[in-house]
Amino acid sequence: MAPEAHLSHLHRADGSATYTHNGYSVIGAVNGPIEVQRRDEMPEEATLEIHVRPAAGIGSPKERHLETLLHNTLRSIILTRSIPRTLVQITLQVRSLPEGGTVTDVNTSLALLPHLLQTALLTLLSASIPLSTTLTSVLVAIPASKSSKPIAPLLAPTADDLLRARPIRSTHVFAFSGNRKLLLNESHGVFTYEEWDEACEMAEEVCCKDKGGVGLNEGVEVDGSQVNLDEWLRSVVKRKVEVEQRWRIAP
Amino acid sequence: MASTKTATSTPALSFPRPIFAAISPHPFLQAHLSAPGANKGFRANARSAQEFRTPGIKTGTLTHCHGSAVVRLGNTSVVCGVRGEILRVEDVQDLPAVAATDGVVGGIDGVGAQEDEEEDEEEDEGELEGLRLLVPNLELNTGSAPSNIPGSAPSAAAQTLITRIRSLLLSTRLIRAKDLRIAFTPLPLNTNDPDNPPDTESQPVPEVKAYWTLYLDILFISLDGSAFDAAWLAILAALKDTVLPKASWDEDVEMVLCSDKFSDAERLRLRGLPVASTFAVFEGRGDDLKDVDMDEDGDKGPDWVLSDPDAFEEGVCREGVCIVLDCSDRRKKARGQIRRIEKSGGGVVDRDVMKDLVTRSFERWAVCERVLRGVGEATV
Repeated sequence: MAPEAHLSHLHRADGSATYTHNGYSVIGAVNGPIEVQRRDEMPEEATLEIHVRPAAGIGSPKERHLETLLHNTLRSIILTRSIPRTLVQITLQVRSLPEGGTVTDVNTSLALLPHLLQTALLTLLSASIPLSTTLTSVLVAIPASKSSKPIAPLLAPTADDLLRARPIRSTHVFAFSGNRKLLLNESHGVFTYEEWDEACEMAEEVCCKDKGGVGLNEGVEVDGSQVNLDEWLRSVVKRKVEVEQRWRIAP
Repeated sequence: MASTKTATSTPALSFPRPIFAAISPHPFLQAHLSAPGANKGFRANARSAQEFRTPGIKTGTLTHCHGSAVVRLGNTSVVCGVRGEILRVEDVQDLPAVAATDGVVGGIDGVGAQEDEEEDEEEDEGELEGLRLLVPNLELNTGSAPSNIPGSAPSAAAQTLITRIRSLLLSTRLIRAKDLRIAFTPLPLNTNDPDNPPDTESQPVPEVKAYWTLYLDILFISLDGSAFDAAWLAILAALKDTVLPKASWDEDVEMVLCSDKFSDAERLRLRGLPVASTFAVFEGRGDDLKDVDMDEDGDKGPDWVLSDPDAFEEGVCREGVCIVLDCSDRRKKARGQIRRIEKSGGGVVDRDVMKDLVTRSFERWAVCERVLRGVGEATV
């Protein structure tokens, strides 16, 4: 199932986006580049500030952890050196979580992380903040197998999938840049290097566009019902550009 | 001839080492790592890129704790104290379903049965997490580093560390919920009791009356990088050192009473021995310093992955990797389990580099295991 994105719908913020996928809905806004407080100012780069607000209640150390991860990741793709001594402030508000998401074996903040990353990137695109590359992120879950035969990992599973596949042995979040570099990885649970490697390869296939060559992917996409996230991102940006260029092609 | 040579090799403006490090940390470290000759590949702290610092551990230093440890990792020193407090079940508002039914059954099986693997597989995460029986707390603001001013609110770094430690404690299932339960088995009722027909030759079912809650307080005395590794080692050592007094429910006074005999006290057993290793990625810069962010495949120096970075290196590096793994499980093919990989901040570490880092972490595990082996076996 393809994620849904809605860009630039908040008019007060410099950029905004709502991202909905698998029952998760996150709304994000970005302000920047704006003036930075003196104590946070850096002479050669922009300061990045991330706020994550949970669906219910106020932020806890869990949200601080997510903010740290987002900060590290986004800092590596925003061209912070081209807008020095400014502030880029990103606020992400979780709007809804999937029903029954808490009873699965998967750490709740881990399951939320790919959605936050995707939303943050869309808001940055909406605000036209200079980026060196794009970013796509996905969750991979490996269920425990009772027999010796390993079970195929689940790609971007829904809460129902996770509930059905219990017990889950390990969960992995991967984020790839547009040029197929592994930007972020959080893997929890029990796994071997080989399992991790397989999960990473699967995630790379979904996150990055295929290198060209053999066009076998089309059949896989149909029965896997898994869209390529890079292609999806391109279609979102294409729509954004089309909307922005409407005045040119108007009769 | 010789004089002219020295004149050209030393620039007119030269700084002593600490000043060079302070004003331009990145070139300083790069100059060290790419120095020609025999010193090639050595960092500013005289370690090679793959070299970890050897941990030093001392346990049982805090007398008011049930278990404690001091861990030194170079200039990083951490104190961890474990204190158990009793949580009465009647004080819990909504008891998780696990504790009420399955948990108790698992408890009986475990008590009599030999410590086999089945017991190890017991699912008790819900109990530990739902009742919050493990409470880690971490204090960086002790003047441990110049940026951590005493008396201020916990920084984002401290909160991130606590979250990581707490989730690792729960997901590695280090502590058995069975060890924390304080159960009570009522005496068999009289057979002439009309409500209780004697044909039920069932054993009385033990009932969980209370739990031990473990408060793990981690205090950084000084912080010089690899905070997570040090804190995690300190927790492991302190938990291995933890001796809880024998607690039992007294029916008459309706209270949990602790035996003051030391011989009754029981040492906490850990499930496995996960060890954390932190790495930092130092991205070398090419000669063209202007567009560091822009270049992808262009003018870019080599990259180094530094094991166990110190504070100076952490300040220079943006990408970090942390691997937690456990080789203590010797049975079947469960060897070399990875429990956690965390990586963020850049795109240098790919699948191949990660393989190398996992190998390095395995070596690290053996070193830490040797250091931790003596802990918690001498006294009881």
